[in-house]
Amino acid sequence: MNTPRIEMRQLTRKLPSGERELTILDHVDLAIDPGEFVAVLGPSGSGKSTLLALMAGLDRPTSGEIRIDGTPIQAMSEDGLALLRRKKIGFVFQSFQLLSNLTARENVLLPVELLGLANPFARADELLAAVGLADRGHHYPSQLSGGEQQRIALARAFAARPPILLADEPTGNLDGATGRRVLELLTELRAREGTTLVLVTHDPVVAALAGRQIHLRDGRVERDERASAAAAVTPAAEVPA
Amino acid sequence: MTLGFYVRALVRESRGSRGRLTFFIACLAVGVAAVVSVAGLSASLRDGIRREARQLLAADLAVRGNQPIPPEALTAIAALPGARRTDVKETVTVAAAPGVNGQPGPSQLVELKVVDGFYPFYGKLDLRPARPLHELLTPGTAVVAADLLSHWKLKVGDSLQIGGQTFRVAASVLAEPDRVGISFTIGPRVFLSGAGFARTHLEDQGSRMGYRTLVRLPDGISNAALDAAAERLKQALPGGESFRVETYRQAQPSLRQNISRVEKFLGLVALLSLFVGGIGVAQSVRAWLASRMDAIAILKCLGMRPREIFPLYLGQTVLLGLAGSIVGILAGVAVQMTLPRLFPDLIPPELIRPWQPAALLRGLGLGIGVAMLFSLPPLSAVLRVPPARVLRRDAEPLPRHRWVTAATFLTLAAGVWGMAALQSGSPLLGAQFTGGVAVVTAALAAAAFLVSWTVRRLPRDAFSLRPWLRHGIAALARPGAAASGAIVALGLGVLVVLGMSLVERRITSQLEKELPSNAPSAFLVDIQPAQWPGVERLLHQAGGEGIESVPVVMARVSAIDGVTTEAMQGKDAPAGNGEEPEGREGNGRERREGNRRWALSREQRLTYMQELPKDNKIVAGALWGDPAHAEVSLEQDYANDIGARLGSTIRFNIQGVPLDLRVTSLRTVNWQTFGINFFLVVEPGVLESAPQQRLAVARLPRGGEQRVQDLLAASYPNVTFLRIREILEKVLKVLRRISLGIRFLGGFTVVAGIAILAGAVSAGSARRGREVALLKTLGMTRRGVAATFAVEYALVGLVAGAIGAVGGTVLAWGIVTRGFEMPWVFAPLTLATALAGSVLLTVLAGLAASLRALERRPIEVLRAE
Repeated sequence: MNTPRIEMRQLTRKLPSGERELTILDHVDLAIDPGEFVAVLGPSGSGKSTLLALMAGLDRPTSGEIRIDGTPIQAMSEDGLALLRRKKIGFVFQSFQLLSNLTARENVLLPVELLGLANPFARADELLAAVGLADRGHHYPSQLSGGEQQRIALARAFAARPPILLADEPTGNLDGATGRRVLELLTELRAREGTTLVLVTHDPVVAALAGRQIHLRDGRVERDERASAAAAVTPAAEVPA
Repeated sequence: MTLGFYVRALVRESRGSRGRLTFFIACLAVGVAAVVSVAGLSASLRDGIRREARQLLAADLAVRGNQPIPPEALTAIAALPGARRTDVKETVTVAAAPGVNGQPGPSQLVELKVVDGFYPFYGKLDLRPARPLHELLTPGTAVVAADLLSHWKLKVGDSLQIGGQTFRVAASVLAEPDRVGISFTIGPRVFLSGAGFARTHLEDQGSRMGYRTLVRLPDGISNAALDAAAERLKQALPGGESFRVETYRQAQPSLRQNISRVEKFLGLVALLSLFVGGIGVAQSVRAWLASRMDAIAILKCLGMRPREIFPLYLGQTVLLGLAGSIVGILAGVAVQMTLPRLFPDLIPPELIRPWQPAALLRGLGLGIGVAMLFSLPPLSAVLRVPPARVLRRDAEPLPRHRWVTAATFLTLAAGVWGMAALQSGSPLLGAQFTGGVAVVTAALAAAAFLVSWTVRRLPRDAFSLRPWLRHGIAALARPGAAASGAIVALGLGVLVVLGMSLVERRITSQLEKELPSNAPSAFLVDIQPAQWPGVERLLHQAGGEGIESVPVVMARVSAIDGVTTEAMQGKDAPAGNGEEPEGREGNGRERREGNRRWALSREQRLTYMQELPKDNKIVAGALWGDPAHAEVSLEQDYANDIGARLGSTIRFNIQGVPLDLRVTSLRTVNWQTFGINFFLVVEPGVLESAPQQRLAVARLPRGGEQRVQDLLAASYPNVTFLRIREILEKVLKVLRRISLGIRFLGGFTVVAGIAILAGAVSAGSARRGREVALLKTLGMTRRGVAATFAVEYALVGLVAGAIGAVGGTVLAWGIVTRGFEMPWVFAPLTLATALAGSVLLTVLAGLAASLRALERRPIEVLRAE
């Protein structure tokens, strides 16, 4: 059997909240295989974002284990985690998180440069074209609309060809049509690059695009459902009109 | 990650921060300007002295001493191929204008320069009429300083009296090449010829003389030949300290050394303002980073390691440090261009070249160094930014590494020490300075914290305060108020400026105030014994009181306990004929050695008396208790200087006659009584027949001194009359110059403090804007809001001023009571002025920095939320 891309064992995260501790994630066991498209659903406070943060090494578990490609990451140094993200993980956030003092093109360029890939500029331009913003590269984020910003964020996330993409409510701040366009791009790029995608959402329609839905409630996995294989391979066709 | 990427990232990161960092640059520029001014001005002066070394010596080579240059040396000079020689004698004496209607004319102390031969060999002697000096000077003529002539309303062709002889004024002198404006002078210049001076008999009557022989060597002489000539002259001179040979290439070593000393001292004061600027830098960086937290989290999220992000931001501070240093350098150059024009007699403008590469580099290096060092503590926060912030704004910061904190502060301390050591030229002094600054800063920070802590705990509703007052007080205690940095910085500035003002005022008033009622107001020296009855009568007639007179015998120490002074000096004297090495602050041992050589080589005044004056106290031995030996009583410190003990035998040379005296008592002397006191007092019955003069003191009616001097000049022209007040004035003038320099540089510290306050206010302008909007929404007028802010700034100024005032008072008290051994007097008015000034400055600067926030309309701010 292949090593799962992401694996969690008895993962627990508690946060101090005043006098007592709040359990955000409670002994979660999960394994996500390479190339999977997983949607994480759940009401507010169910631990979706914390799960994502732990996968990326942005946060550290209180107990339990996370492995990326078989390597445990919970004890890695900040530097080690940064290198892990640089090589393996791309991000898309609800609030875009573009660097405001960088142009759109420079934002896309940054992960490629960090990785030291050959021809970073060509790669950045290729991605700008892929998200349909080839002519907006010299704009600063503040000069772009929300949908454009998120498309730049998508380009940045895929720029360094990470095997894993983590998306935190990527359409949460966008209106319906714009959101659909962004989702379309996201699934298209994922399919093209063969990226493992973990997408946090509370929108069942968005979640329906995924080949697997994990429902969280009170820090535990409530349901873990796999759709038919077809749904995962032809995502573009399935985007709700 | 490649270098190219770093450079690109550095440039990109600098985009978001331009306007915000104006205060970073301003804080740094103020300190750099101070450092560059000090370094530039002193380098200019030293360079100028080097450049014009020949003019300043007026010769290629000079031999100087306080005895006539011996014939062996003159023979040696004559033997130098192509050498020309001019002999110069210098002394201080009294000159008098001609009397009118039988009344004596006005008189004044003058610096007499007796020139035989061509003068000067180099440089320009500015005379009116413009003829060579040797043509103008005859046995019957004098060349007189223009300001003395105008003071006495005399002109060329009139006559004046020196040493009882009449001289016709042949020309007026405006400038001399070898008399520098920055030196201490006693009176205006008068030139006489050797034959003219001989008519006065001043030299035979025992006046103190300086002797100098100027030598001009053939044009184009090599440095090696010049040094060889100097060496030959040294060989021809007797050993010891009586004579020194100086070449123009040495370029006034003692003058340059004095400049270096002042530079090191003022350099530290300037450095202090740079450090205060550093506090502002740290605050700017902290505020700037606070706005970059999200960006840093994103960078971490994208896989940039903390150790890669840190240099990115450190690089930013270096770039900003560069900008601030360049602005500071320009300001420093501007100071160097203006200052000499404002104070031409303090800094000769013609010597100043403001673009001194070494000074500019020093400013650049120290500026960037301070920018980096003081950014380190806030920059270390970069390491703690949680990458999870991209998901949750309130993600807790990463744990602090203890070693990072320790390393940060060690680096900071080491850097500060290194800079202080550089500026003072001494690692030890640098360490003391660093320690002192650390202690003072810690005290100020603790006081600032205490004030904020107290204010927070004050029951604000217990008093029925007006709302703007209550709100203003509350603002000071608000969590995260940026006031503490400003308080520390301003407090340091006030401390320096006020401390120096207090010292200056205290010393000035001590020296200016009425002398002790029983202290003499005048000294009379070089009185011939036969003249004394007449002089005494004259003093009595003028209403003089407390008239005292003692005999004075001039002598030199030639051996102590059988060891000759030449052997004593030869043993320890550094090479180079007494030239002290430049660039090294004399340590205690060196200074003692200097005192010793000086005490041994100078001509000593001996007196004899049965009973010691009341201000003397025997601390060892007994007065005149040894019938078997001729006895001498030594002042204790002097005895230490020359290395004599109780029971030592000192051999004196009294104008060629040897005399052995045994030290049978040691004394302490209270010099502040201004009474007649001597290091050396001899038992009566030993010196009565030796060649001698008398020294006298008298207390003259206030305002009557000039009249006495005029009368004396007419009847006893060889007697030099020294007014205590006049001498104190000279000392005060020097003191005021030093104080002015320190306060001027201290002013930079205050300006840096103000810049910091403005920066802190401006950094919080977004918050202030919201505050203004809210207050306005709640119905407060703009004036009311401004009053609220004014109260807050006034409190900052008050606290800083109060802390600085306490610190400045302690500093001044220490300097006055320990350094100058003067009683301390509290100066409430100066303190009040400092407090008021501090409050006024902070309110003005604070309000100016809040103008934008005050102008904002509520809706703009609330909409943007």
